[in-house]
Amino acid sequence: MLDYAEPVTKLIDEFKRLPSIGQKSAQRLAFHILRTPAAEVERFIEALREVKQRITECSVCNNLTDVNPCRFCTLPSRDHSLICIVEQPYDLVAVEKTRSYKGLYHVLHGSLSPIRGIRPSDLRLENLLPRLKPENNEGVEMQEVILATNPNTEGEATANYISRLLKPLGLRVTRLAMGMPVGSDLEYVDEVTMDKALTNRHEM
Amino acid sequence: MFLRSIRAHDFRNLEGEIQWGQGINVIYGNNGQGKTNWLEAMHLLAHAKSFRTRHLHEAITFGKSAASVSGHVAQGNEIERELQVDIRANTRQTLVNRKREPLAHYAAQLHAVWFTADELEVVRGGPEARRSFIDRGAISLHPSYAQALGSYSKVIKQKKRLLQQAGEGRLKFAEVVELLEPWNQQLVSLSAQIHRSRTEYVNLLNDALEHSLFGDTLSIRYVSSLEGKGDLNNYEELIAQRLQIRMQAEVFAGACLIGPHRDDLSVLFGDRNLRSFGSSGQQRSALITLDLAAISVYHSQHQDYPIFLIDDVDAELDGIRIERLLEYLDGRTQTFVTTSKKNHFERFNQRAHFYEVSAGQAREDIVLRAAIG
Ligand SMILES: [Zn+2]
Repeated sequence: MLDYAEPVTKLIDEFKRLPSIGQKSAQRLAFHILRTPAAEVERFIEALREVKQRITECSVCNNLTDVNPCRFCTLPSRDHSLICIVEQPYDLVAVEKTRSYKGLYHVLHGSLSPIRGIRPSDLRLENLLPRLKPENNEGVEMQEVILATNPNTEGEATANYISRLLKPLGLRVTRLAMGMPVGSDLEYVDEVTMDKALTNRHEM
Repeated sequence: MFLRSIRAHDFRNLEGEIQWGQGINVIYGNNGQGKTNWLEAMHLLAHAKSFRTRHLHEAITFGKSAASVSGHVAQGNEIERELQVDIRANTRQTLVNRKREPLAHYAAQLHAVWFTADELEVVRGGPEARRSFIDRGAISLHPSYAQALGSYSKVIKQKKRLLQQAGEGRLKFAEVVELLEPWNQQLVSLSAQIHRSRTEYVNLLNDALEHSLFGDTLSIRYVSSLEGKGDLNNYEELIAQRLQIRMQAEVFAGACLIGPHRDDLSVLFGDRNLRSFGSSGQQRSALITLDLAAISVYHSQHQDYPIFLIDDVDAELDGIRIERLLEYLDGRTQTFVTTSKKNHFERFNQRAHFYEVSAGQAREDIVLRAAIG
């Protein structure tokens, strides 16, 4: 026999699918929903539906966006001679928070890891090389590629792989300086440290 | 540094608090009462690890869900800090003055050197024990070296997985070369860092070997697995080259064949290899000599002595060696020895502190001290 009525058990099971949610948290969340007024729950459901319906990946930079191409790719104020490569959309946000970077982005959605079975073909690289050509970059000659993958061994390997890939193009390729705590993730780095790392980027 | 006191709660069979003496502390009692557990608790307090097990939760008293060890450590006359390590099933927490402190910062507060039966692996076992002996010392000189070691082992694991995939025939060789490059490039700089740190530390250690203590002519040397393959002074270039040349062999073996994870420490007794030719008494004196050198190197870098833990000292060393050793240590290092034969230490009655351990509780033998006077 189930501990709770079927619909409640079903909801608990769904919550448990979420990252870092165990049985206890799932129960707590389910009972919170049960106590919440119907209108509020509707709003929550609508938010979930909307995010799935309206958010897609930008066809140019792979960032998550509600308009395609995304704002970073289309804003006239962005510097098209500069592109910053990050692992995840939240890393893009971390760089953007410095307010000192005005170039373009490219989101890989991952980093190389043989152990986790992530190969170069699993990274969103297929649309990187084409967009570095002036004819696909609003006529602007690309000057510099900044590799802002995480400062851990996987991010380092990824940066390394991409810099090799870009070598034939003769572009300036730089890597974020390691002013930040090594072994950590970009999303946890505070703005000041990030700003410093960005200013002190070096040639690869 | 001076470990003034230690308190244990639900750690193995230990309970209660002990105030330690400066100088030599003799922990005696019958077997199975918990003498070694107290040493283990001190080691835990210093390094948040156990010298007995990789699985810390095994040290929690049976039937309890958490264990805690805390202690007061004085540095010089001014500074005294309370250190604490809490263990639960899957986590450990390190605290300084009751505030959480990340392990990287915590570990520098108290440094321990230890001599146990398991540690004899350093002089008679495989290279892994020797590498870890060197690494511990090198980390105590440069804590950031731990970072390099950690990254190195991560890169080696990733590369190994890649080599295995390649060996399973799932990748073309040209593809393998391309995929290995990003990991090999990291190996080059990390290996160079490890080679440099270890060589530097072993040289310091060798210079600090005390030859007069046991009349032994011990010498040590760091032996790179790249020795004889080219110019070690140009390490980065050499290893990069070896990684290129041996790539096919690595794919074939499905294992990382190149790097400092295959290096060793040679320990020579006269001109003979101690591991193959030394008697078990020589091996024990050699380990003690290495430990004393580690203590001396630590002192010359930090102007402070680590604590020294010696388990079951009379099983490991004969009476004469124990005496010479304690004479040497007295006035330098705060030392903790466990023994089942208290009478071996009679000569030190006036200088040492004695603690009797029974059913996990330790009690200072005040009567003994008072009687002497
Ligand atoms: Zn975009």
